[in-house]
Amino acid sequence: MASSMLLLSTLPRTFASATGRNVLRSALQVRASSTTQYVPGGPYTHSTAIIRGTVNDPVEFPHPSKMHGSYHWAFERLLAASLVPMTAAAFVTSGSSYPVLDGLLGLSLVMHSHIGFDSMVVDYVHKRKFPIIGPILTWTLRTATVGVLVGVYQFNANDIGLTELIAKVWTA
Amino acid sequence: MMSARIGLGSATRRVAFAPVIGRNQTVLRTLIPKRGVQIQSLPPSASEEILNAQRLKRPSSPHFTIYQPQLTWLGSIANRVTGGALSALLYGFSLAYLVAPDTFDSAHIVEFVAGLPDYVKYTGKVILAAPFTFHFWNGLRHLSWDMGKFLSLKGAYRAGYAALGATAISTVALVLM
Repeated sequence: MASSMLLLSTLPRTFASATGRNVLRSALQVRASSTTQYVPGGPYTHSTAIIRGTVNDPVEFPHPSKMHGSYHWAFERLLAASLVPMTAAAFVTSGSSYPVLDGLLGLSLVMHSHIGFDSMVVDYVHKRKFPIIGPILTWTLRTATVGVLVGVYQFNANDIGLTELIAKVWTA
Repeated sequence: MMSARIGLGSATRRVAFAPVIGRNQTVLRTLIPKRGVQIQSLPPSASEEILNAQRLKRPSSPHFTIYQPQLTWLGSIANRVTGGALSALLYGFSLAYLVAPDTFDSAHIVEFVAGLPDYVKYTGKVILAAPFTFHFWNGLRHLSWDMGKFLSLKGAYRAGYAALGATAISTVALVLM
């Protein structure tokens, strides 16, 4: 009698042992817990692993090119620097008297904005981490910039021009 | 006698000489086979998938939410945000004019703005002038960094405060224009 009672009391302990607990936990592991967790590295599908290969594989670097490197940098800074005297000039003159200045300012502003937006896309939605949304946003931005260029040209040609518009709206 | 032939001799001897408290546990452990553990045979190439699955579950320490606000990075993100907002305005207006030139031509816009109450006009001027002037002066600060000036911490802070002061003054000047 006593021995059978001892047997019953020790039975639950075997399930409480390490192996028993692991079996139970793996059986009960719910998928729902991972959707509420913060996932480092951004969106992930099984076809695009966050890190390709093993820890022994070298990092892939982009192909070095002056066009996307130092020339891009220099162009960006020169453009930004040229915007300073152009803006100052637009402040003191009127857009209708100097349509070439107005056109140049409009073109430079759009290019400056495009480079700025492109930097944001590269920083936050890089195609290495976001292989689908990254390129989609890049090409959407390029299409939008083309549309904006056409719109700015139309506005400067058929209407009063950007500087004149800002001056009129400011003093309306 | 029987146990020695079967081969459980050492096990039963261990049980017999084990302390009384744990004897029943040891009996059960030897008699109940460990069918709770299941072994799955995997090829070595499955290691990458397991590793990436583990990497997904790893937590990330707080970084962006706990970094102390400083003039350096606040000024930098403010430069980007103001630039993005002004560019979005430019893009939005240009695309709207391209799509519907009659609704968005200058006459309509000037008319619409002229009809707004005064306080809305002043608020709108502040909302437009402040980002523009900040982006302008901070842009000059950034260009001076590109030329090698103000690259020390002291220099960056001095230039930052100067840019903020210039922003305030020029915003007031623009709004009163």
